[in-house]
Order: sequence, then C-alpha cells, then structure tokens
Amino acid sequence: MEDDDPPGDPAADGTPSGEPEPDARFTFANERTFLAWQRTALAFVVAGLAIVQLLPPFPGVPWGRHVLGVPLIALGAVIAGTGYRQWAHSQQALRRGEPLPRSVLPQILAVTITGMAIVAAIVLLLSAILPR
Amino acid sequence: MAPPDDIEDLDPGLARERTRLAWTRTAIAFAAVGGAILKTSVAAGLIVAALSLVIWGLSRIIPDAGAGGRPRQLLLVAITVIAVSIVALGVVLLGSR
Repeated sequence: MEDDDPPGDPAADGTPSGEPEPDARFTFANERTFLAWQRTALAFVVAGLAIVQLLPPFPGVPWGRHVLGVPLIALGAVIAGTGYRQWAHSQQALRRGEPLPRSVLPQILAVTITGMAIVAAIVLLLSAILPR
Repeated sequence: MAPPDDIEDLDPGLARERTRLAWTRTAIAFAAVGGAILKTSVAAGLIVAALSLVIWGLSRIIPDAGAGGRPRQLLLVAITVIAVSIVALGVVLLGSR
C-alpha cells in the first residue's frame, strides 16, 4: 500500500490493505478518466457563466439567462463529486480484479442536456411570444 | 521480431506522459474558468485562476504513484471543482446585477 492512501478508510478510495495493486497503466487510465470528468465539470461551469454574463437578456424573459445558466453550473458540481466517486469505485474494482462498475455520469449528462435543451427552447419561445 | 500489439508493452511510460498531459489540460481549464469569472469579480477570478497553478503543481511536485493512484490529490481536485462551482453560482446569483 502506498503512502498516499488515507489510512483506515477503505470505503473512501477502495484501498483495503492486503489487496494487490492493479497494473499501473490501468491506474493511470482511471486517473485520466477522472480528470476528463473534472474538465467536463469545469466546462459546464464556464458555459453557465457565459450564458449569464455574455448573452444579452431574452426580450420578455428577464430570468431566462439564469434559468439556463444556474443549472449548468450546479451540474458542474454534481459531475465533479460523482466523478471522484466513480474513480474510487473503479479503482477498487481494479484492485479486486472485478468488472468495472457501470458509470452513471453518461446518464446524468444525457438527461440534463436533454432537459436543458427543452428549457432553452421554452425560453426562446416565451421570448418570442411575450410582449417586451 | 514482431512489434507488440500495444505500444505500451514497449514503453509503459507513455501512460504516465498522457496522464501528465491530462493534468496540464485540467490546470488550463481552471485558468479558463478564472478568466470567465474575472469579468464579474476580479478577486474571485484571480483566485480561481491561481488554482490552475496548484492543480499543475499537484501533478509535478507529488511523485507519480502509478502503482496505486493518489486518492487524496484527486479528492482535492474534485473538492476544488465543487468550490469553483459554488463561487460561480455566487457570482451569477449575486454579482451579475
């Protein structure tokens, strides 16, 4: 067991003592996947910021930018936390030689992006219909 | 002699190199978020941008623990991203008017 592992906390990162370390390449690949999800989270944060700060207000829908931007930023926080949980579970599975656990992150992304697209369409429609 | 199917059988260090590049891309992403926040809040933007140096340093200062991962460092990255999200929410909800 390496020095970086938190002692006595097997649930946090899946590093119970006595289990063999996986192939270093698998560990690196797992780490890169984690970092990719963190960058995805940051991209959502930037997208949310850009919507609120850079877009002009929707005519007739003054709250439109916040309705679109705030959920994206919140989704960034969710992805960051879930990404770490996913990394820990995968690392644990690698150590035990078990199949990798199924990730919920793609589902979260798909559902949220679909929802945001619908909300964006509604905001645009309202902006076109409502009086300025 | 036939070449190995996987190039990393010849040079496993490529995985380490790719991982370092991934850390660098993540640090650049932090700088981008800091730049976006700068537009509204200079102090918050500078702090977030400075975090890119911390993230970059995490991959350079700490020896590569290729055999077992580095849970504390990765947890720190995740917590930092969550903190940046909270700062961004504050900027959006409180600082845009």
